[in-house]
Amino acid sequence: MKNIYRPIEATLEDVITETPTIKTFVLRPKEPFEFKTGQFIELTLPGVGEAPFTPSSDPNIKAKIDVTIMNVGKITSLLHNSSTNISLGIRGPYGKGYPLESFFGKDILIVGGGVGLAPLRSLLLSLFAQIDRYNKIVLRYGARTSSDIVFKDALPEWAKKDKVDVVTTVDLGDASWRGNVGLVTTILKDVPVDLKKAVAIVCGPPIMMKFVTLKLLDLGFQPPDIYLSMEKSMSCGLGKCGHCRIGKYYICKDGPVFTYEQLRDIYDIWD
Amino acid sequence: MFAPAAKEPLGAALEADYCFVRALGDAPLVYNPYRTVEPLKSFFTPAQEKLLDYFLPDKDSNAKQAEKNVIFGVKSCDITGHKVQDYVFLEGVEVDSQYRLRRENTLIISSDCTGFKEVCHCLAWDILPHPAVGFDINLSPLNDGYLAEVGSAAGEDFVQKYDEYFSRAKEPQINARNKKRENFIEQLRKHLLPQNLVRKDSVQKLVKEGYNLNTWQEFMLTCVECGGCNLICDTCHCFLLADRAMPSSQKPGGKENGAHEKLRLWDSCLYANYARVAGGANPLKMRAQRLRNRFMKKFDFFVDNLGVPACCGCGRCIEVCPGKIDIREVLKDLAKKSSPHK
Repeated sequence: MKNIYRPIEATLEDVITETPTIKTFVLRPKEPFEFKTGQFIELTLPGVGEAPFTPSSDPNIKAKIDVTIMNVGKITSLLHNSSTNISLGIRGPYGKGYPLESFFGKDILIVGGGVGLAPLRSLLLSLFAQIDRYNKIVLRYGARTSSDIVFKDALPEWAKKDKVDVVTTVDLGDASWRGNVGLVTTILKDVPVDLKKAVAIVCGPPIMMKFVTLKLLDLGFQPPDIYLSMEKSMSCGLGKCGHCRIGKYYICKDGPVFTYEQLRDIYDIWD
Repeated sequence: MFAPAAKEPLGAALEADYCFVRALGDAPLVYNPYRTVEPLKSFFTPAQEKLLDYFLPDKDSNAKQAEKNVIFGVKSCDITGHKVQDYVFLEGVEVDSQYRLRRENTLIISSDCTGFKEVCHCLAWDILPHPAVGFDINLSPLNDGYLAEVGSAAGEDFVQKYDEYFSRAKEPQINARNKKRENFIEQLRKHLLPQNLVRKDSVQKLVKEGYNLNTWQEFMLTCVECGGCNLICDTCHCFLLADRAMPSSQKPGGKENGAHEKLRLWDSCLYANYARVAGGANPLKMRAQRLRNRFMKKFDFFVDNLGVPACCGCGRCIEVCPGKIDIREVLKDLAKKSSPHK
């Protein structure tokens, strides 16, 4: 009899410090585990509890899963302070993930905010793996300060790729930062995409997603072409525990990626 | 086997309560004229339940799991409300196999209502006070015995097995049962008519259009956030998966297998932390938002997803509420404050 709430065991193999508050946890599952980009997992710290995270690694790599986590709460802070080689639990994958097939042949604008670049890294790596299928990938990323930028080494590497265009900004500049300063919406003015065949994918804090969505609509993106990563309190990941309801949907099973078209008539989606 | 037992009312003016007890024990079993205090869900998803040990394979506890239960005294509202539980745990992306096993191993012997509590309002949701489907056997009291209606293959097997207790019902007996039912429906209708309750088909529109009304603030004034309304509700299903650290174990994530447990606990959307996320953000921070969320779930979400509102009119939430928040009155207030054309 299958126990749908049972996590599989994974060893915490490595911890990579990305920023003062964000670390990437490299997990090696003890049983085969696969996910599609954009799907999420419930990561368990046995005896403490679990929390939902979208992996940040390439789904084509099966033996390991990276999860990039900001230290904000009880479980994340214990994870940040834990040593390697402990056993964690993984349940999932849950949700629908990104519909990559519907992006074929298109200009893909990806807008990330802060640690929101974590799931987007998984998406980018999936897109890079089949780059011929897409017309163009445009990444616009905003972090609070230069020290809050995640995947610092990867960003310039991605920018060098053919058909890939990367621009980064920080909300607050400092002496060491020579790039753009301003909210991520300020680098969306002249995005080099053809609106007739473009989609936009947004992941970041709710307030950032709200203003990016408004900006994208302003630029002429249509609601069905704007993909948003929604978040709410979640427990089961299976559409049973009731927590993540948004309108007629559960974020865990119907999302976590939704088009703005699906959400536009629902109250309080940005809360 | 579980069956209702009567609880003495605390005062002469109060209605008697009935509770499910393990049958053939000390408490005398009775025919409950109306629903019990506890919701039917408590047999299938207990309030607190251990789901697993980390990281051990599931124990072969089939002996306990295969335990067969018979529940007497289930009412029409319970059966209708329980459809929501079935939808949650038996459908969707994954089936909860523990729930399914309990469901398969439980014989539901329902019975017609022959009385009602003040809070009963099944008819408002087009639910009759006797079940038509969803039972294994339904009992209708008649003269000195009962008319038994078989509603499933398991019910049929049961009747076959104990056929010395049954004889085929005759036409006049069935007619007498139907007459009795009609009379009772009429009695309940008379009780409900002056209440002027909102109609089932208007309720989704009411909660959606009433989203920004002050009804939510006004009714929430007396809420003490006990969660009783959710926990006692036949349709509420929210739960929380929580971990219990075993005192003997070392630090979290330690190597000693089986040290920690995962539990499932009933949750309540009226609790302050129901929707809180890591870092402290809480989309249901205000109490009124939480009451509204409860109504949106029952009367908007479930109408969209299941085709029916998630309320069976059992009135348990009304009875349990220390703040005297009455689901009927909340809906009536929304109706009153919505545009006069409706």
